[in-house]
Amino acid sequence: MNRFVPETLFRLKPAGFSIFQQKNFIKPALTLLSSSNNIHSPKSKIIGTSQQRYYSAESGLSRQNIESRIIDIVKAFDKVDETKVNSEARFADDLGLDSLDTVEVVMNIEEDFSIEIPDKEADEIRSIKDAVDYIAKREDAH
Amino acid sequence: MASKQVLPNRTYILHLYRSLLRASQKFSSYNFRDYAYRKIRDSYHVNKNETDSDRIIQLVGKAERELGVLKRQGYLNSLYSVDRLVVEEES
Repeated sequence: MNRFVPETLFRLKPAGFSIFQQKNFIKPALTLLSSSNNIHSPKSKIIGTSQQRYYSAESGLSRQNIESRIIDIVKAFDKVDETKVNSEARFADDLGLDSLDTVEVVMNIEEDFSIEIPDKEADEIRSIKDAVDYIAKREDAH
Repeated sequence: MASKQVLPNRTYILHLYRSLLRASQKFSSYNFRDYAYRKIRDSYHVNKNETDSDRIIQLVGKAERELGVLKRQGYLNSLYSVDRLVVEEES
């Protein structure tokens, strides 16, 4: 750039100089940004998502933790015989729950892990093992 | 939505049940929330062995209308904050 212009501006008008300086600063910053975007855009995307996953994995639950919590929820359900509850128990066959009870148990699990399970996937949960598998898959469960 | 001739299937009824229970939890007032939850549960369990198709269609129609009411009222209720009751403190 012309060396003469900033110098005169600086002498005569400090405010004008600062504007000029800003322009000069913004321009390279923008080109730098856009070029880095062009070159690294796939990479930066990957970094973004992996960071997100990293954060949720940090608060991730261990399988034993999930299992014991689900077993507690099922035991707390009034129609369930506590002695029959184990990690392999099926809601309908082993615990004698009907389809309505199963919906309620799954809802209780949702509430406890602060997630919402879509209908289709909630229909697939028919045993404690199914529930543990599903919660382990969900990274937003906590 | 359900036409008068078609008998709603089991999955639809269960999905409706889940939607109702979910909608009942949207109330911010404990009394409404708990009443709605209990009422839905009880009504479903009372009628779970219903075999008369006309009656089932009628009940499902009722559940659909109630779901609309619950969604509207639950939303309205959630706009207003209420003090937590003593019974809620534990959770």
